[in-house]
Amino acid sequence: MDRTSTNWGVWVVSIAAWGVVLFLIAPLIVVIGVSFTESNFLRFPPEGLSLKWYDVVVTNPLYVNAFWLSIQIAGLGTLIALVLGVPACLILVRKKFPGAQAVSALFLSPLILPTVVLGVAILQYASALGFVRTFWALLAGHTVLIMPYIMRATLVSLSEFDLASEEAAQDLGATTPQTLWLVTLPQIKPGVIAGGLLGFVISWINVEVSIFNSTSTLITLPVRIFNQVQATVDPSMAAVSAVTIYFAVICVLLIDYFIGLEKAGMK
Amino acid sequence: MSAAAGQSSATGGMFISRAQATIFLGGALLFMLLFFVGPMLMVIWSSLQPPSGGTFANYERVYNDGYYWRVLLNTLRISMWVTITTFILGYTLSYYMNFHLKSPMARRAIYIIVVLPLFTSNIVRSFGWIVLLGRDGLINDGMRIVGLTDGPVQLLYTSGSIIVALSYVMLPFMVLTVNSIFQNINPSVIEASRDLGAGPIVTFLKVTFPLSLPGVVAGSLIVFTLSVSAYVTPSIMSGGRVAVMPILIYDYYMVQLDFSMGATLAVLLLATTIAIIGVYLFILRRYSNR
Repeated sequence: MDRTSTNWGVWVVSIAAWGVVLFLIAPLIVVIGVSFTESNFLRFPPEGLSLKWYDVVVTNPLYVNAFWLSIQIAGLGTLIALVLGVPACLILVRKKFPGAQAVSALFLSPLILPTVVLGVAILQYASALGFVRTFWALLAGHTVLIMPYIMRATLVSLSEFDLASEEAAQDLGATTPQTLWLVTLPQIKPGVIAGGLLGFVISWINVEVSIFNSTSTLITLPVRIFNQVQATVDPSMAAVSAVTIYFAVICVLLIDYFIGLEKAGMK
Repeated sequence: MSAAAGQSSATGGMFISRAQATIFLGGALLFMLLFFVGPMLMVIWSSLQPPSGGTFANYERVYNDGYYWRVLLNTLRISMWVTITTFILGYTLSYYMNFHLKSPMARRAIYIIVVLPLFTSNIVRSFGWIVLLGRDGLINDGMRIVGLTDGPVQLLYTSGSIIVALSYVMLPFMVLTVNSIFQNINPSVIEASRDLGAGPIVTFLKVTFPLSLPGVVAGSLIVFTLSVSAYVTPSIMSGGRVAVMPILIYDYYMVQLDFSMGATLAVLLLATTIAIIGVYLFILRRYSNR
């Protein structure tokens, strides 16, 4: 075999691949770099080294309030989607009934439909029903967004599930709620947690649903950053963006440590 | 729910009564009907309620006005370039990760770098590109130093800058989708091809690439549909100079406050997405029938 040409090809692929890795990491490094600048301009490499733009961010109630609203919406939305979604998955997998496929498709369809359309749909619906641009409208939209991520992860976990253990528990006299809580849930927990984390993140980073359902006071962090970027661009934006990147790093490392990224359904 | 009460359910596992099943499924179903199906139907209904003219007046207006077609075509054109770019970059990286990268540590590190951007907002991901592509940005500085240009070049606020930033945003989806297919390719198939005398390029073209095609098609579908409906990245990268469908929808809803026309464009975007998925399923069926 022609070894030199093989090596040459491997080199080309390797260099190209590491170039792509650089492409993936560069914008994040640039944002983090700019956030430490002393100057008032967005320059990379940064001029000097200071935390003053972080100080601007953490003392600005607009950013702090937006941060908490984002956490609340994503947290509550994930909780509601878990409480509603996980039992529903159980029925979809365990019971054969007409229309089961259509119901599954309905639950999963927000995955592929444009989120902009979901955003305007919630806006119009809430306008008609009189809860437009409220916390509840925002929460409803985000819960719809989160639901399919939890359902997908739970459905996969349930399909790999060992049914005999459930039957054994019931043969030994456990009631259905007991079996569910003590046998089924512990086994599907990693998948459900992965789905929940993914759903939380999807809500946490969302702009398209939030932007149509926000007011000047009811505003999530990504929308706050988005509005700010369009108005004026100064390094405080880099600082608040960098904070969300640190948040992302923590999330990713946590998932990788506890579940393993490749197992967490990141495909 | 066909399984009668008192019997074990058809698929085995624990016994779930009819009442329990209704409660378990009913909650989620009711929620989705109230806050997903209801709102979506409302958008469709609203698109059929034009302020003046017949039921389909909005659709006639869109059909007859070249502007909307140009915006739709521009959206599809940008999405196509984004799909091609992410395919070239993503496939290269994924191929390297699965067939040439030996160190598990390096593999894990790259995996984290691929996934990390997915955990930050599109706005944050695009923001870095504003700094990089600006008049005094790193790219312009670099081109000046190398001698490619004399003064700053307009890189930002063009279709090109939308394609670059959107490709960046979409790249992880392509890498992850192609990865999941590569992982399922049996390495002995590739070894067999090499043992039978095929060179690396022939092996790639005749064995590896055809086997990975389902991943390429699935990844392209995800990237294309997400690109067509992307609002944030085109919005900040265009600087108001380039219009795509989601920007137009935002404009009708939030600036012109013409919900009916906005709804019409939203339905059009929805139909476009469904059409793309339809084409994908058609290709998939033909491919699996071979």
